[in-house]
Order: sequence, then C-alpha cells, then structure tokens
Amino acid sequence: MMSDNATSRTLLVCCGTGCLANKAAAVADALDAACPEASVKRTGCNGFCENGPIVKVQPDDISYYRVKPEHAEKIAASLGHGPVMSLLFRDADKKLVLRQADNPFYAPQHKVALRNIGTIDPLAIDDYLDAGGYRALERALAMEPDEIIAEVTASGLRGRGGAGFPTGVKWASARAEEVFPKYVCCNGDEGDPGAFMDRSILEGDPHSVIEGLAITALAIGAEQGFLYIRDEYGLACANVAAALGAAEARGYIGTNIRGSGRRLRLEIVRGGGAFVCGESTALMASIEGRLGEPRAKYVRSVQRGLWDKPTVLNNVETLANIPVIIAQGGVRFAEIGTEGSKGTKVFSLVGKVERTGLVEVPMGVTLRHLIFDIGGGIRRGRRFKAVQTGGPSGGCIPEGLLDLPVDFDTLTEKGAMMGSGGMIVMDEHDCMVEVARYYVKFLSDESCGKCTPCREGLRQMLAILTDLCEGRGQQGDIELLERLGATMKESSLCALGQSAPNPVLSTIAHFRDEYAAHIEEGRCPAGVCPALTTFVIDSEACTSCGACKKACPVDVISGDKDTPYEIARDGCIACGSCRESCRFDAVSAHQRKEALA
Amino acid sequence: MISITVNGRVCACEEGEYLLDVAERNGMLIPHLCYHRGLLPIGACRVCIVEVIERGRSKVVASCVYPVRDGIEVHTASPRIREQRSVIIALLLSLAPGSTEIKRLALQLGADIPRLVKAPESDTCVLCGRCTAACEALGTGAIAKVGRGVTKKIAAPFDGMPPDCIGCGSCAHVCPTGTIAYEHTDESVSVWGREFELMRCTGCNAPLMTREQHDFLTRKGGESPELLCERCGKQGVARKLKTRERYLG
Amino acid sequence: MDHSTHIEEIARRYPAERRFSLAILQDIQREFNYIPAEALPIVAARLDTPQAHLYALATFYKSLSLVPKGKHVVKLCDGTACHMRGAGNLLGSLSRQLRLDADGRTDDGQFSVELVNCLGSCALAPVMVVGEAYYGKVSLEQLPTLVDSYREGGENDE
Repeated sequence: MMSDNATSRTLLVCCGTGCLANKAAAVADALDAACPEASVKRTGCNGFCENGPIVKVQPDDISYYRVKPEHAEKIAASLGHGPVMSLLFRDADKKLVLRQADNPFYAPQHKVALRNIGTIDPLAIDDYLDAGGYRALERALAMEPDEIIAEVTASGLRGRGGAGFPTGVKWASARAEEVFPKYVCCNGDEGDPGAFMDRSILEGDPHSVIEGLAITALAIGAEQGFLYIRDEYGLACANVAAALGAAEARGYIGTNIRGSGRRLRLEIVRGGGAFVCGESTALMASIEGRLGEPRAKYVRSVQRGLWDKPTVLNNVETLANIPVIIAQGGVRFAEIGTEGSKGTKVFSLVGKVERTGLVEVPMGVTLRHLIFDIGGGIRRGRRFKAVQTGGPSGGCIPEGLLDLPVDFDTLTEKGAMMGSGGMIVMDEHDCMVEVARYYVKFLSDESCGKCTPCREGLRQMLAILTDLCEGRGQQGDIELLERLGATMKESSLCALGQSAPNPVLSTIAHFRDEYAAHIEEGRCPAGVCPALTTFVIDSEACTSCGACKKACPVDVISGDKDTPYEIARDGCIACGSCRESCRFDAVSAHQRKEALA
Repeated sequence: MISITVNGRVCACEEGEYLLDVAERNGMLIPHLCYHRGLLPIGACRVCIVEVIERGRSKVVASCVYPVRDGIEVHTASPRIREQRSVIIALLLSLAPGSTEIKRLALQLGADIPRLVKAPESDTCVLCGRCTAACEALGTGAIAKVGRGVTKKIAAPFDGMPPDCIGCGSCAHVCPTGTIAYEHTDESVSVWGREFELMRCTGCNAPLMTREQHDFLTRKGGESPELLCERCGKQGVARKLKTRERYLG
Repeated sequence: MDHSTHIEEIARRYPAERRFSLAILQDIQREFNYIPAEALPIVAARLDTPQAHLYALATFYKSLSLVPKGKHVVKLCDGTACHMRGAGNLLGSLSRQLRLDADGRTDDGQFSVELVNCLGSCALAPVMVVGEAYYGKVSLEQLPTLVDSYREGGENDE
C-alpha cells in the first residue's frame, strides 16, 4: 500500500542557495533513498530561506520546514497517512499550518514573476513547458512586432531594476531605429546589498527570463543577445547555461526558432564583481571587454548601446514578467497594481523582521503591510526604527511614513526609492549615522571613480561620517554633508553618483537628532558606534545564563552561577555582541566616557 | 542649422554639436579640465557643468559631452552652477593641493572648504583621464586608469614601467596639471621611469623620434617611415617634384 | 613555476577578440586562484591589446586578484542584512583567531579572508562562504570549530 501512496506523490525540495546552505542537497538525496517510488524534484528558491530547507508534498499540498536528512524516513512513512506534525510551520499563535497558502508569510503574496519558482525543476524544460512555458513565445512568433510592443505598453510594465522606465516605450524606441544589428541584454548584475530576487529567478526559473528575452528580440528585431550575470552567482550561471542549451535543443532559440526562420543567439557574460556594472552603460562597456565605466547618457542605449548599435537592456524580473503579459494580454496584467505602477514587485524583506525572505506583492501595498503582516513585525519585540529601501541608491524611511504605498513614484517623492526591491528593516539598536557610513563606504569602494563629484564627494563624506562615528564630529558637519550631497546629486555622471548621497540625505532628513547627538554630545543613541559606547550588565535582570560570555569575541566577560556577570573595562571592544546575545535585556548601552582601548 | 540661447545670447549651431564647443565659439568661456580639443570628450571632471532648460525642465549637464538640441536655454554661471562648480573645485583642490592650475581655479571661483580632508601637498593629479585617453587614441594604451572608486589612479601595470610605452610624450603634453614628468635631452627622452633613445633625421641629424615610436609606426603603417624631420621631408618632396618636372618637361 | 603553457591554453579557449578579456582573466583566476603577473603579456599578445588594459581590468573587477589567495577562501558577506547582524564582529574575530596579515591571509597559505559585497542570501544573515560552501546565521561561538574543520587534516580540508 505504501508504495502506491508514494508513487503518486511528488516531493519538491527547495534547492535555492539559502536552503543549500542548510544542507538541502543532502535532504533531497535522503528522500530519494527513502522513497524511491516517489518523484523527488529539486526546485528553486521558495523565498522563506530562514526556515529552510523546505519540502513540499504534492498533491497533498503539505509544506515542511527546517527539514534535515534524518527526517527523510519519517516523511517517506507518512506519505498517504497525513503530515509529519513536527515539521509543519507554526504561526504566531503556535497553530500548525499545513498548506503553504495558509502560511502568514505566503498568504498575502501574489506571484507573477515568481510563478514557477519552487514548483518546477529549473533544469527540466518539460516542467517549464507543462507550466505553460514558451507558449507566449509561440504566440509572439505569430504577431507583428508592433503588436507585441502594444501588449507590453498596454500592460504598463515599468523596469524592475529600479529606474522604472516604461518597458513598452523602450522597446518602441529601439524598434524605430533603422540601424542593424540590434542587441538585447538581460541585466543580471544584481548588486544592491540586501536584494536577491534576480538571483532567485535566474536560479529557479531561468526559462522565463530566456523566453522574455526572446520575445524582446522579436519585438525590436535583434538576433543576438547577452545575459550579464554576476560571477558570484554560481548556481544562477550554471542553471541559465543549462537552460540555454535545452531551449536551443527544442528550437526556442537558435538559428530557426520553431521553424519560423527567425534566429536568436544568446550568450552568458559573467560579471566581474563591480556594483557599477548594474548601470546600463557600464554594463555594456563590460560586455565589450572594457572597463565598467559609465558614459554620458545624453544619447540613449536604444539608439547607441552595445558597440554603438541599438540595444534594449532589461532587468531579470522585468523579463520574467514578459511571457505572462504576452500570454494573457497586457490589459489583464494592468489590472494588478496602482495607477502609475502596474503588476507586482518582488521584495527581499530582510534585517530585523521576524520572518525574512523573498515576497511578491501587488504594487501599492503599504510598507506597514509588508513589514508587520508578511514580515511578522520586529524581532524580539523591539521597536521599529527605519526601513532602508532601494539599497545604496535609496533611503531610510521612518515610522511616520510606513503607511505609504510602495510603488515607483511615492517613495521617490520622499527621498527614498523602491529601487530593485531590497527592503532592510532596522530596529532601535541600529545607528542611522553608522548606516549612512556603511552605505557611503560601500559606494566609495564601488564607484567606478571616473567623475569628480561621485569619487571625491564619497571620499569626503566617508571621512566626515567616520569622524562622527568616532567622536570627532564638528559643528557644521551636517550642513557640509548636505552641501556635498546636493552637488553629487545633480552633477555626477551616472545614476550611481547621482543617487549616492541618498542614504546620507535621507537619514539626515529623518534622524537629524541622532547626527546631532554624535557631534554635540559624543553620544551614539542606538549604542552602536564603539568609540562612543560602553556596555553594562544589570545584575538584577541577569539570569546568569552565560550567553553573553559565550558570545564575547574578546573574552572580557566574567561570572558564573554564583558570581554576577560583569564586563571588564580593559580589552572590551564595545562590539555589542553581549547585548545581542542577551535574551533578558540585561545588557544595556551607555555613553563611553574614556577612550576606547 | 538650429539655434540655442546661451546666457541670453542666441547662438547658431549644428544639431548634435557639443555644447561647450558652441559656447566657446561664441566667446563664452566655460571652465573645464578634462576636455581637450584634440581628444574625444571624456566628461569626467564635471568642471564644465552648465544648466540646461529644455521644454520647461531644468537640469545640470556636462557641457563637453552634451549634444545640443534646437531651442534649449543654457546658463553657464547661474547661482546653482556657481555653487556646484565651486564644490567640485574644492573637491579637486583637496585631491590635488599641489596643482597651481587647480589653485588658480579655486581662487578665481572662490572655492575652498577647509573641513575637507586634504591629500599631501605634493599631489597634483586630478584623475581627469586626459593622459590615458590620449595614449589610447594613439593606439598604444600603455598607461591606464587602475583600481576603482576612491583608490583610482593612473598607472602602468604593477606600478612599474609601462611595457607598451613608446615615449611619445602625448600623456605629458595633454596633462592639465603638469603631473607627468617628461624629460627631453638631445639624445633621449624619459617618461614613466623609462628612458628612450632618440633616432635622428637622416637629412640634418636633428633628434626625431624614439626608436619605439619608429617601431610602432612601422608596425601600424606596414612599412618603415622615412627618418626625416618635417623640414628635410618637405625639401625632399620638393626635390623630387623638381626632378619630375625636369623629367616630364 | 612556469605557467605560460597553461595560460596560453586558457586564452585560446576564446576567439581572439578584446571582448573576451574579462572571461579569459576570470578563467585564469579560477585556475590559479589569482592572476599571475606572467599572464598579462601572454593574454595581451593573444588579444592584441595593451597589457595596461588587462591590468586595469584586473584591478577594477573584484572577482580578479593579483595576489595569490589562500587554499581556503573565506568570504564574509557584508551586505546590509549581514552588516546589521554583525558581519564586522565575525571579521574581527576571524582576524584574531587566524592572525591574518594586512591582505587578509594566513602565513601558512591555508586561508584568506575577505569581507565581500552582498551574496544574496540575506535571509540567512550573517552569511559566510568557505570555498563553495555557504553557512548561514553564523555565530561568533561556532566560528572557531567551523574554521578548524578547514585546517590541515580537518574534516573539510581536502
């Protein structure tokens, strides 16, 4: 009987990079061995990485979390007999959740770009075809280029890489150019720290991107294209390469697409590890084998892009939406979202929230909904402080603006931006001056260094912010940061430089007091900047559990069951690990009076 | 022909011409550093920024790389531009405090922000990229922009002597701050730590070009160029013509 | 040691076009764990491009390194999520434990440690990668044992 039960079942094992870090490959192997009659599929990322590895049993629609190889036998024995209770998700009320759709993390989501991820094996083109894949391409082959572009225009789709340029307009401009050859490109150089949606799509559903790119090529009249993918994304590069091979073997790309006489050659270019190459002109320079330095964009890439020929560059997530638009029609796609921002957006919700991961929601939901309903609020009952959206190009948004709808335009008006969808939640233990310093440090390493305002502006901003964090701030520093920022914003050469001051300007706008405390009092209100902070254990609140002592990297905490725990002044580096490790809020931060050792 | 206005004055120009060229032709000088008439525009220093108003919208652009469009209104020294340009010069002054050219600009445009961290007094390079652009345009590409972000600098591989350098001295010639040392004697030139022997004119024995330059021209042109200075070359041509006249006559 | 034949072979995997400069350098990096100085003239000759161009690429792109890396490359993610959850402390602890030099290497050549940009596994912050193996939610406590497993003779040292 048991084997009958097993035969009819499919076990979907999440093998995204996150789950692989938690030994998902071993889980899949163990399931293969334990239930040879069932079909075990290795899928892309389910987005709820923190609770991985995730295993789904179909058709029962049961989801298991934090599965270990040793659970395989138990799962095998349970097939057809009801779920393994201990592996189910427990919601905030400790209630067991059977189906993924009932999980509070997934319930409010609306999957378009991520439609197949987690349900298909990215290495099996038949899985993609069974899910309706390449039907949009077949349809596009029977359409006139202008009809394809009309559908995309009707959908209201805007570029998901951050700038939000209308995709249909971009395609139409490239189509209007009478210069050949033309090129299509996929921007898979996802570099915003805290964002990983493109990685997930490339790994988990590479055919959707290839299909999107092939439709782009038909629309503008290109026969060659490139997928520029970060070299660090090893699995993404491998899965895309495999998918290109499979797509060519079935005639979806290549010298004669599905017998139509149309051709398209696609190749992968591995990015070299430079954030600036996410900028379109730098990316194209990099594909040409040159330094990834941007050029002035007064003439657009749709006119003069790769090798000075008309080029359309679209982001991974944008391309993944294209097959849906062509298959269902642009009007239907436009039913989702807001007036100016159609469709859904994938966000990577990370930082100090209870539930972290990838979420796809209709445009226009509020930040509060994302952070508190889907994300489950702030970890360990702490207070929300800010959410950084849009990575280094974006800004920090305070509590007062949490009811803003998330779309292309609203956040930009507030000095932040939706950007590519990184959403990093910060709590009361995060220092906004240090956050600004972190982003400026990142950008001063990642700026290409070509133009003066970006390179030198960042160098000076970093020096000033470091002074602030180390207690050497001066009167007038805030105003000088604002002055530098204003110039960088308008006179830098490319979008990287023009948006580089955003993290500084937005934290000054919303947390000016915190800057002032660093300068005027030499105090870090969040208790983060080591030069300004010291930590003390409250003997009343301390339960002598010893967690802080274990966490201390420099071994300056003493104490045991009978002696109260204490932090020695000498040798303490004020890293704050003790405070983070304490479950009883017994470690508190205070203003440092003496110099740091 | 199209027309634009610069600081209120109507200027006739061709569509696609660079704004800086149009302004200068009409007698309005825009301060600049990386722009050089003999090179393709670089657009890196941003000293030549101006304000452009097009269809009611105003933006800041680098005039050296901005192709003009009919009817745009340009302001080369509006308060916004003066402020931003002075910040840019102050930033350059902190990068190259030793450069007389930058000091002069800073004085002229009232730009100095004492709080900025200054590089050592001996530094003069402003990373404008003229030298590498010139070297690349000539086809040698012996020096390059190395590193990125705030560590960017102009250098040869491994900070050593550039193996592909032919000693032509173009880099030093175009440098706006005189940073690149180029020494010239009767027998040799030295640049980038390398010494190059000079070949002489077969006519008058004047020093002509480095051996590496000669080799480079040979490689590029497919045949070895005559070792004649400009004057001797002209004389040679004249002689030939004369001989020919006599022969034909 | 003379690597020139091997480098030549790698350069010949691609057509002799300048656009493959980066790909060739990446393959050399993968093979040798760095770009040996002798690779520059070989690749330059193959692609008919100046050596300075290749040197500039090697210093511009983070995936390329001109100094040899340790046998085990430890990457500590310093993406925002990891930064917020203590990546800096992990680096400090590793430096002390392994006595890293200024380039982040150990003198026995076993390890090199780098703080790297977001590795896109933010939900598992802080993240550390040793070679190809990802480790999520790394704590200061588990760091010593994890590192020891990669030392000579350890279970992960191969």
